[in-house]
Formats: sequence, structure tokens, C-alpha cells
Amino acid sequence: MTIYEIADGVRLVSVRTDKFKTSRISFTMATPLEGNISAKAILPYLLHRRCAEYPDFTAFNGMLDELYGAVVSASVSKVGENLLLSINMTAVDDRFALNGDKVTDECVELLTKPVFEPIVENGAFPEKIVEEEKRLLTEKLEAEQNDKRHYAFDRCEQIMFANEAYGKNRLGTAEEIASLTGRDVYLQWLDLLKSAKMQLTMVGSCEPDKVKDILTQKFAKIERSPAVKETDFFAGFPKPNYVCETLPVKQGKLVMGFRAGMRNEDDNVYPMKVAVDIFGGGTYSKLFSVVREKMSLCYYCSASLFAQKGVVMVQSGIENDNEEKAKSEILNQLKEVAEGNFSNETFSSSIKSLCDGRLSVNDIPESLCAWYTAQMMREELISPEEQVEKFKAVDKAQVIRAAKTIMLDTVYMLKGNAEGDDDDN
Amino acid sequence: MIIKEVRNERLDEMYYDISHPSGLKILVMPKSGYSGAYGIFMTKYGAIDTMLPQADGTYKEIPEGTAHFLEHKLFESEDLDAFERFAKTGASANAYTSFDRTGYLFSCSSNFRQNLEILLDFVQHPYFTQQTVEKEQGIIGQEIMMYKDVPDWEIMFNLFRAMYHNHPLRTDIAGTCESIAEITADMLYDCYNSFYNLGNMVLAVAGNVSVDDVVEVADRVLEKKSDGAMLERKVFDEPKEVVSHYTEEKLSVSAPQFMLGFKENYPDPVQPTKRELGVDMILDIIASPSSQLYKRLLSQKLINTTFSYEYFTGFGYSAVLFGGESADPKAVESEIKAEIEKFRREGISEKEFERTRKKLYGRMIMGLNDVDELANNMAVSYFWDEDVFTDFEEYEKITVEYLNELLGEIMLDEYSVLSVILPLEE
Repeated sequence: MTIYEIADGVRLVSVRTDKFKTSRISFTMATPLEGNISAKAILPYLLHRRCAEYPDFTAFNGMLDELYGAVVSASVSKVGENLLLSINMTAVDDRFALNGDKVTDECVELLTKPVFEPIVENGAFPEKIVEEEKRLLTEKLEAEQNDKRHYAFDRCEQIMFANEAYGKNRLGTAEEIASLTGRDVYLQWLDLLKSAKMQLTMVGSCEPDKVKDILTQKFAKIERSPAVKETDFFAGFPKPNYVCETLPVKQGKLVMGFRAGMRNEDDNVYPMKVAVDIFGGGTYSKLFSVVREKMSLCYYCSASLFAQKGVVMVQSGIENDNEEKAKSEILNQLKEVAEGNFSNETFSSSIKSLCDGRLSVNDIPESLCAWYTAQMMREELISPEEQVEKFKAVDKAQVIRAAKTIMLDTVYMLKGNAEGDDDDN
Repeated sequence: MIIKEVRNERLDEMYYDISHPSGLKILVMPKSGYSGAYGIFMTKYGAIDTMLPQADGTYKEIPEGTAHFLEHKLFESEDLDAFERFAKTGASANAYTSFDRTGYLFSCSSNFRQNLEILLDFVQHPYFTQQTVEKEQGIIGQEIMMYKDVPDWEIMFNLFRAMYHNHPLRTDIAGTCESIAEITADMLYDCYNSFYNLGNMVLAVAGNVSVDDVVEVADRVLEKKSDGAMLERKVFDEPKEVVSHYTEEKLSVSAPQFMLGFKENYPDPVQPTKRELGVDMILDIIASPSSQLYKRLLSQKLINTTFSYEYFTGFGYSAVLFGGESADPKAVESEIKAEIEKFRREGISEKEFERTRKKLYGRMIMGLNDVDELANNMAVSYFWDEDVFTDFEEYEKITVEYLNELLGEIMLDEYSVLSVILPLEE
């Protein structure tokens, strides 16, 4: 892996390997999860479908087809209290092109066009395009709520982080989207070119030289003042909060939010990852082996650590009537971990599984690219192999200490009141 | 034991095709530079196999959802279950049941031989008791309920119920809460003994693996129990006509969802690869994001970026499906049908054909990076009597004339079904 500093807060990360048949490239901007979030979130979607040279969405896609089906996609994610806005591309290697076509270089160059050469008319993005993207983003926001697992998770976050930036949806709100104009979004874009932290990550056989030149040239004209938000970490003891809502669905969803007791994203993070994995990670975990396998309460019950905010979220799909049983057993299992009631075997299974999972990142270009993109706000980049060493250094006592600092904050229960198994036609 | 090397120079890939004395077909694809490996042990037994072949050539009906139920139960054993064994190696193990197959799999970055041994061993040693069967009914019951709240899942099965009179596609892969209540330990053993004979199965591995390691483990762990052969699947008597052209359900969703399907009755239960690829190409030409149809539907606010299409095929069924979210599903239906008619009248141009050919060729190349995709493709290709390179070879044979001919026989109006999920009224 090679890192090139392009400008203040802008870097190029290149992982050269010939083992894949494609190249994967991501261009990502990091910006605080505050202000007009929708104006930020709409950008990657709006930009990635067109550019000044190919203003028409259909023609832009036709050109990608000609480039051996190169895939360009956009995504927005929340990392701590910052937003990552990404445009990603996958392109086949030149050696598979027919008639000696040069695909990779063309694709790399193409990826920079939507970002730096969008269509601008009279100091704004064209209203017609913005209106269409507003509709698409609103429908995306609403459609995510159709998945009730997602919905319940979002509701728990909103409640738990009501007074923190983290409680905001990464796409903003429907009202915020509705009020956007072509001028607003254009100004937001201009601002991000100056203020966002940026990283272009490339994995595969592609050479970094060309894109390095393009980026250097682009940023030579931009006065940079990059800033990302320092995420607030909760201090003290949470007061558990309980919220129950009802929707016409068939299965209830239980989400439990915990504060991990971390003071920053690196604070005791490896023992904490192991503790959360033993609590509700793999099939050897407490939640899988007891709540699912032994008690047959659910099909899924798992815990995830969001280290960049220092929180642990537990999710499960259950029958309404089993809510109390599930809740008390989940808390009981956390207590078991905190009291060290897990075998040496479970401990070693967890370490092995976490290490194995990290190493598997190396075999998928999209995963490897996402691995380095996720670290873009950090000074030092860590490889999957280096992380494996960190896991191997964790001992059981550290895990117990970490588990003891996990405290319940918010319980959200979505009860279903739709009829049960009724459609035998 | 016969070990064949199968190469494709242009794709820069090769694999070993092994006919193991146990009766099992083994496919091994080493990938240089890879640190991890993926293995899948698959049986040609899925949710559509609701009829169990008997010794006298007849079939016995088994409850819907049995294949999936068996998949869950196979992980258990009298002492250490399979998950506990994989936990010792650090591998990530799983299984899935689809319409026409069940696969048990692991992926790992180390201890490949040990993991392969666990995989081959646990799948060969079933352990079912009435008590463990009853315990699983609770877990799978919750799995079934979970899917009932997933609109994409419901819309597809509603479509199949409106499309098929008799074919088992009509039922959820996991069955129903009623059907799984009928499952007994004895029934699971009956199904296991028929469908899990090594002749009806395949093992595929890809990644950081060597053929010698695989053969060494296979020799040691595979037990030849009988001269099992690949089973004859029951062909369901399915009329050409659909049950109904329209079906709807109300669920807790933000906007109406649609799936438009065109039923086909290809005379053979398995159709030629060339035809399948041809239909894929036609769909891409008609409806991809670079098509005029997509542009029109988007600008008329009739679709959003969830719009998708696929050629859905398997043993004894094939259908073209379009799906997405729309304020007006019926308007989308008539736009799609009008566009198909236009293509039938005017034909596909050489330019459209060439562009799509390049695109789909590139997409196939992209599929050669992932060891899980490769191993799955190798295994499934074997069940279809093909190999993992067949698509590339057949693809070369497709011409624009062929596509225009094909257009005449697919996506016919009289066999269409529109399935809609509407939001609940407030």
C-alpha cells in the first residue's frame, strides 16, 4: 500500500495487486454530520450519474456499457458523527478487453469527472436534475423504512441519540430534501471541495500515476480548509429508557442500545470488539447459542459494536409475547460475559473468527477498498494483517474489563399487530 | 479416480474436475495470490423437491419446507455440533436452501484442510430426534414470520401463486408454520437418505487450495454408502396459462411495490444456456439504465432506482421478471409491454447488440474475483451438466439475428402477471 498526499486533507491510497481481474476505485469525502445533511447526502447520487461531458444520464450509462460494463455507484454512510460520501467504480483489467482497448485508465479518469466537472448552469445544478434526484432520495429514505429491521434500528438510534448529532439519519429528512434547490446543492458542493477531508482509494492492477496527476492539478486551484467533526462520546452512567411502538407487522422487533464506556474510538477498542463478539457475534456467542439455539426465541439475535461512537446495538426479531423473556435473557448474557462466565474455548473461537474475518478482506477488491476508505479520517492506516496482531494480543481479563463497562441505555420494542400466518391462499 | 484439468486461456483460469471413487464429483479451483478459501458441499435438493422418489419409481409427497428444515438440522450431531467444530478453526460457516439446491459452506483464511474435513464429515452424519425437531420449529417459525414482513419476498411469492397452478414455487422456501409442524425426525431421515447420496451431490472449492489437499481429505472422510446416482426430479404438470393476471396485498410500506412477470413454458425442464444468455441480453437492451424505456419511466416518475429485471430460471420453470417501486404499477406494466412490442416490431439494432455484448462480457469477468461466487457457480453448473466456463463459450455464439428471433417467443402478453403490494390505508 502506498499513500500520496495530494493536498491539505486529500490523499491517494493505492493498493497494487495483480491477483484480481478488475480494479476498484472509491472517491470519498468526509464531512460533519451537521448542517443541511440532505444537501450533503444528495451529492454523491446526483454527481455519479452524469458529468458536464455526458450530461444525459442515459448517455452516461451507455458509455459505461461501452467500457465493458464499468460499474459506478454512490453511497452515503455515517461514521461516528461524520458522513462519508462516496462514488465507487469497478472496471475490468485491460488484459480482458477486446481489440486491445484501454479500459482502466479511461475509467479512472472518468471517475474524477462527475466530482470535478459536474454540469453547472448559472451558478447552480440544473433544477430538472435536482428535482429528479430529490424524488429519488426521498423515495430511498422512505423505502429503507419498509424493512422493519432497519426501521426499528433507526427508531432506537433516534431515541437514544435525540440530543446528539449521531441521532440524525445519514440522508437527512424528507422536509430537508424537499426544500433543496439547485443553488443550495451547488454551493454545498463548492464548500465540500474546500472543507471535506478526501481520499481516493484504488485497489487492483491500476497505476496511481495518472489519477495522481489529475487530482494534483484539480486541487492546485482549490484553497483548502479541511475539517471533520470530533465525535462526542458519552460519559457517565446512562439512565435506561424504554419506548414501545406498534405497527401492523407480523413479527416484533427488539432493539437494545448500550453505551460501551469508550472515551474515543481507540479506547480499549480491541478487547471491546472481542467482548461484543462473545456476547453476540458468531455462532459461539452467548446470544446465538442461548437466546436462539437453547431458548428458540428467535431466528436472529446479535450484537454489533459501533466503535466510532462507542455504542453496542443488539437486534432481534421475536414474538410480541416473548419480549420480557428475550430482554432479560439478553441482559443476563451480557452479565455472564462481564463476570467472565465464558470458556477459554469460546474466547479462542472469538479471536480466531475475528482474525479470519479480517484476513478475508484481502481476497475481495470491494472489501479491501472499503477497508481503507473506512479509515480515511485517521492519520495512520492499518492493514488487515496489523489488526490481526492487535486481536491476538487481547487477553481474557481485558475482555471481562471491557464487558463490565457496557451499560444499557435505550430499549426499543416494535410490536406487530398484523394477523399471523394467514396466506395459504 | 479420474482427475481432469479444465482450462480457459482467455479468462486465465483453470480448475480440476475429479470423479471421486465415493461417487462424489469434486471441483477444485486454485487462485494464485489468494489468502483464503471457500468450500461448498451441495445437494441437488431444494424447496421445489416436494416429491420424494421411491424405489418403485413413484413419488411420495413431503411437507413444504422440508429441504430447508433439514438444512437447519444437519448442523446438529449427538456430541459437538458443526458450528462448534468450525468455531475451533475460526472459519465462518453457513448453509442455504434455494428453490433447487441446498449448500453447506465455509470460508476461511487458515486451516483449510481441517475445515474441509468438518464440512464433509458433518454433512454425511445426520442426527435428528423428535425433540430437536420440535425445538427447530420455534426458530424456523420466526424465520417465516420475519419474511412475511419483507415486501420483496411477499411480492415474489404472490406472483408465483398467481403464475403457477401446481408448481411448488407457489410456497415459501421455508414452508408455512402449518407445513413444518408436520415434519418428523423419520421424515428427515427418509429425505436425507435419498437426496444426500453422494451421487446427487457435488463439492466445489476455490481460493488458496491445492488439489492434493482436497483429494487427501476426501479419500479419508468420504464414505461410499451406496451406488447412489443423481435423482430424477419430478416434473410437475403445469398448464401454460397463468392462474390470474393480477394479484395484490396490503402491507406496511411507504409506496406501492410491483413485480411484473411473464411465464414461459419451455418444452424441456432445462433450457439451453445460449437461450438463457440471449434472454439476459434482450432484457438489458430493453430495460437497463442506458435504455430509452428506463429514461422514459424515470422522467415520468413511474420508477426509481430500485427498478430491476431478471430472467428467473430453474428446473421446470422460467419467467422474465421486472420489479420496483411505483406510484402507478399498472402504468409501468403498460409502458413495459409497449416497449417489448416496439422491439418485436422494429428489432434490436446491431449497435445495441454490440454495446450490450461488451457490457455483459465485462460483467462476467467481474464475477471471476470472488471465490464464493466461483465455487457456487462451479457447483451449480455441474448440476446443469455444464462447466463454469460454458457461459463464456455460449456467449460467443449469440448473434443479433438470434436475439430478434428469440424476441418473438418470450414476454408474451397472455402469460403476464402483475403482483402489487399496496400501502395499508391509514
